[in-house]
Amino acid sequence: MRILKGNPVSRGIALAKGYIYRAFKADVHESYFEAGQEAVKYKQFTDAVAAAEAELNAIVASLSAESPEKAKIFTAHIEILKDEEVAEEVKDMIFSRRAMPDYAVDKVFSEFALLLEKAKDPLIAARSADLRDVRNRVLRILKGEKEQNLANLREKVVVVAHDLLPSDTATLDRAHVMGIITEVGGATSHTAILARSYKIPAVLGVPEATEIVKNGDMVILDAIKGEVLLEPDRTTIAEYEIKLEEFLKSEKQSAEFLNRIPLVASGERFSVGLNIGTTEPDEGFKYVDFVGLFRTEFVYMESEHMPTEDEQFAAYRKVLANAKGIPVTLRTLDIGGDKSLRYLALPKEDNPFLGNRALRLCLDMPEMFKTQLRAALRASAFGPMQIMFPMVGTMDDIRAGNAAVEEAKAELRAEGIPFDEKINIGIMIEIPSIAMIADMAAKETDFASVGTNDLTQYLHAVDRMNPKLTNYYQSSSPAMFRILGRIFKEYNEAGKPISVCGELAGDPLAAIVLFGLGLRKFSMNASNIPHVKRTLSLFTLAETEQIAKKVQNLSTEAEVITYLKAEVAKREQKPTATTTK
Amino acid sequence: MYSKQTILKNLTGLHARPASEFVACAKSFESKVTVRRLDVEGAPEANAKSIIKILAQGLSVNTPIEISADGPDEQAAVEKLVELVDSKFGEE
Repeated sequence: MRILKGNPVSRGIALAKGYIYRAFKADVHESYFEAGQEAVKYKQFTDAVAAAEAELNAIVASLSAESPEKAKIFTAHIEILKDEEVAEEVKDMIFSRRAMPDYAVDKVFSEFALLLEKAKDPLIAARSADLRDVRNRVLRILKGEKEQNLANLREKVVVVAHDLLPSDTATLDRAHVMGIITEVGGATSHTAILARSYKIPAVLGVPEATEIVKNGDMVILDAIKGEVLLEPDRTTIAEYEIKLEEFLKSEKQSAEFLNRIPLVASGERFSVGLNIGTTEPDEGFKYVDFVGLFRTEFVYMESEHMPTEDEQFAAYRKVLANAKGIPVTLRTLDIGGDKSLRYLALPKEDNPFLGNRALRLCLDMPEMFKTQLRAALRASAFGPMQIMFPMVGTMDDIRAGNAAVEEAKAELRAEGIPFDEKINIGIMIEIPSIAMIADMAAKETDFASVGTNDLTQYLHAVDRMNPKLTNYYQSSSPAMFRILGRIFKEYNEAGKPISVCGELAGDPLAAIVLFGLGLRKFSMNASNIPHVKRTLSLFTLAETEQIAKKVQNLSTEAEVITYLKAEVAKREQKPTATTTK
Repeated sequence: MYSKQTILKNLTGLHARPASEFVACAKSFESKVTVRRLDVEGAPEANAKSIIKILAQGLSVNTPIEISADGPDEQAAVEKLVELVDSKFGEE
């Protein structure tokens, strides 16, 4: 038996066959064949097209019933595959220039993709990503490699990949993916967040996992300890079958806290919010007071093109309908960094997390931004909603964002389209520079929410995607609590709502400190709700204040965590209040 | 050779679903079919049976276009495609 170590980012246990997922990389060179082989080479091409069509038809068939939207992406691919002009040009290159089929396919598809990219309309330019996708499929078949995607798996598996792109996870087959192992990525990477929201156990940052794990071999994923067990013996398997059962049982027990009114031991109430990233109904809505973070990226990622105003409007209304009257904080598009869109080519950056991302990118692409703001404003007529900008660093950013909202509002007013005139506009606080002037930010915003993942990354200067730096990524450091205390104080003094929607709000230990620092609005994934409610119910307000003071003067994160764990352990034996909602 | 002119009236123009329907319709005829926009001087003729070429034209709402066909069923092809465009592809 062999044990690999990694970072457990989504708790749970899985026992299933390993499934190595490698995104195909085309490696094509300019090459030609000898005269006389034209017919043979052309047949290789037409056979590959036929095989690609068969693959696509199978995907469409398997997706049609459950996810017609995803199926449409692949229907469009069939259309491209059967494009008459593409076929003619490839044929011409093979017959008149004796180009090898892979070279001909690569060249023709790439030229057509470029042609589309030049289109003025971003909807059309976006389609070039589909052309590249189809090109890769044909090239892969020409190379004789098998198809891989995570949208329709035949059996239950633990997926092992170098990394999962948002486009992979958007179409993930949730019924069959029992666990996820990747070679890169930390607790706040896109894959980690998605795994937690889907409740799929995940261990990330396992070096060379795709080389070491064998396709089809039994894998035990212990995403509590952060271990991957390969070639487990019978005893270990039996042991883990019991552990899995126990884990599911304990999850069920803490679930009892879901319904409790969120109170600390001295009776003060706090609010619990939900973070969501899809338009699907989430069972968490029942147990929360607000939606502190609606990530709109997913509306863009699940689409095959830049979503239109009407499409976005429909999606946002759907979320408001799911929320059934609790207020929803819509965060405007946050791409760049570790998130990209298949249909929007963004230049490679040396430091994407310090680059042209989120609000910066939106201000750089005003038409795209306005489409989203108009859609959001239109939706605001149908339920309580507020709008929040990510990656705000300066007062200039706040003013530019507010100006864009005013412009969209003016347009809607002129067109006689209804929206909530009094809609609140706020910001994410995740860049230290805005945290340091939170007093000024509070004056020009209606509310703020702290994104602790990025704040940790920027405060500690740690790339949160780099597995080597996991130990440096310290979201519960004394420095973090000092800066958070400052932000809460300024917003509380200004009388403007402040919440935390980063991972820290859902961390029961950190939540004690956040409460003591003055936070009353905690927004998190549904899976963390019972744990936070339970832990906070153990402490009085005065105790949390004392603890908050203390941790700001401990010297390391390790000391903070040891101290907080001890404080919880002291109280865990005592019975707790049993108020139900 | 048979040609007819019309104006795109549906909101999305020849993008997305309407473009797909247009190309599928063109493919059901034997004749060579092309589309050319009339509002841009010297615009090229795009093969109506190529989804990529059609998309690349960026034909949006209110664009005047000419649909031409050459072959055994040229008249039927043009009439049918013009009818499809004028039906706004079932929008609204």
